[in-house]
Amino acid sequence: MSEDVVRMQVNPETCIAGGQCELLAPDVFEIDDDEVIAVVQGDGRLDRKVALEVIDRCPSGAISIVEPDEAAGGG
Amino acid sequence: MPTPVAEAPNVTDDGLYLDGIPHDRFAEMRRTPGLMWHPYRDGGFWAVARHAEVKEVSRTPEVFSSAVGHTNLWDLEADALEARRGLIDTDAPDHTRIRRLVASGFTPKNIKAWTDTVGELTDELLDDAEAAGTVDWVDALAAPLPIRVILALLGVPVEDADHLVELSNFLVEGTSEQQSLPPDAFGNTTELRLLPFNSPASHALFEYGEALAARKRAEPADDIVTTLVRAEADGERLTGSEFRNLFHLLVFAGNETTRTALTHGAMALADHPEQWQRVLDGDVTLEQATEEVLRWATPVLHMRRTTTTATELAGTRIGAGEKVVVWYASANRDETAFDDPFTFDVGRTDNPHFAFGGGGPHFCLGAFLARLEIQVVLGAMRDRGLRLRRTGEPVRVPSNFVHGVLSVDMELAR
Ligand code: HEM
Ligand code: SF4
Repeated sequence: MSEDVVRMQVNPETCIAGGQCELLAPDVFEIDDDEVIAVVQGDGRLDRKVALEVIDRCPSGAISIVEPDEAAGGG
Repeated sequence: MPTPVAEAPNVTDDGLYLDGIPHDRFAEMRRTPGLMWHPYRDGGFWAVARHAEVKEVSRTPEVFSSAVGHTNLWDLEADALEARRGLIDTDAPDHTRIRRLVASGFTPKNIKAWTDTVGELTDELLDDAEAAGTVDWVDALAAPLPIRVILALLGVPVEDADHLVELSNFLVEGTSEQQSLPPDAFGNTTELRLLPFNSPASHALFEYGEALAARKRAEPADDIVTTLVRAEADGERLTGSEFRNLFHLLVFAGNETTRTALTHGAMALADHPEQWQRVLDGDVTLEQATEEVLRWATPVLHMRRTTTTATELAGTRIGAGEKVVVWYASANRDETAFDDPFTFDVGRTDNPHFAFGGGGPHFCLGAFLARLEIQVVLGAMRDRGLRLRRTGEPVRVPSNFVHGVLSVDMELAR
């Protein structure tokens, strides 16, 4: 994975489903209408700059970057 | 209260706000290192004036609680707080449960589906306003649009809309000192202090909400009240009191706030015709202009939190159980967060305003709906090539909590 691309995750315990993330990065985040939380689409890859912006805008602090060791085997 | 701390200039005297937000006093708070202590009634609160710390408080709900005391400046008695408890004055996990029940109706995608409805309502109101030429902007557009939109979303039948508009107007009145309703209006028998805004209109709204819920249980439709009663069936129950308070909050919360944004927006665009010209020329997007209108208007001036434990903020020690008040009115003019914060500039590209709160779990549920309404109104005015000219001074609401305007005369011309 290139330096500038990171993978995103959403904490289902704290997400309040406001959809700020979907607005900023619709390819990666979508509000699941049944579960009513944001879910990551596909492999959740996002440009680091956009990722930091989304993390900052998420009101509940539910979004984070998957650290390389957590992602072992995934990327 | 630890010493030494500087005492804040008074920003709670409602009368101050008759002339607008006392920006010079907030600027003094922002310049003063640490936090200032603001005396209030028989106690006081920590005044949080800078953008960075408004954000920190809003996003640390474990320490800065919404459920202790009240989210307004004064405390409610325990029984009144329990009776009124809904979404705003709840912490996790109750807050998360209630918020998710209602959130599905307010996601960007679901709100977008209402664009045409908002457009039709806006066109009707603008047609009438244009025909009249000079109107009270609040009466003609800013007040009727948000209430009609939220009633449509909730699933209130058209024939009941006038009744609810009337109730909502009584509630707005309930935020000020004068109330024209007798305590037993609408058959109310509840002690007023147990009702939101101490208003008997709240009782009527509760009753209406319950009747509507019964109707939606029998005849489900594609609306938010149906979503709430359907959730009941799935076992994710709202208690009766939670439903009542949530219905009440949904009718009220989006009403006065969006009205205020539309009114300050119109005033700013009339006062800065060169900014409106940029919108007319298509040099800036409706989204950009909308965010600047929200920053400029800051319809909700502050919210309060209460500490659950001793903590430190901006280098100031705060004890457990103390009040902390975040001032969005100040954060939205913070020199360290915005270039030229006192300039109305519809072309800002970086506009991290806190009109909808500083983030955190209580971030405004209706943010996308409010944005949609403002964008649709600006878009309709742009497409008509309308220009606004102020023909009178605004009559402001004397309140340290809402940045309200009761009336302002405007001339509309192409
Ligand atoms: C321009 C219009 C609006 C403004 C400026 C505004 C502002 C705010 C603010 C400042 C908060 C508190 C945030 C916090 O404590 O961190 C809030 C919460 C809330 N707003 Fe809005 N609001 C607007 C429109 C709406 C609309 C249209 C609705 C529609 C239903 C709405 C529903 C709510 C609700 C339910 C909450 C409580 C959320 C919670 O506690 O989880 N608001 N709003
Ligand atoms: S922005 Fe945060 S809280 Fe909102 S839906 Fe996305 S992850 Fe959830």
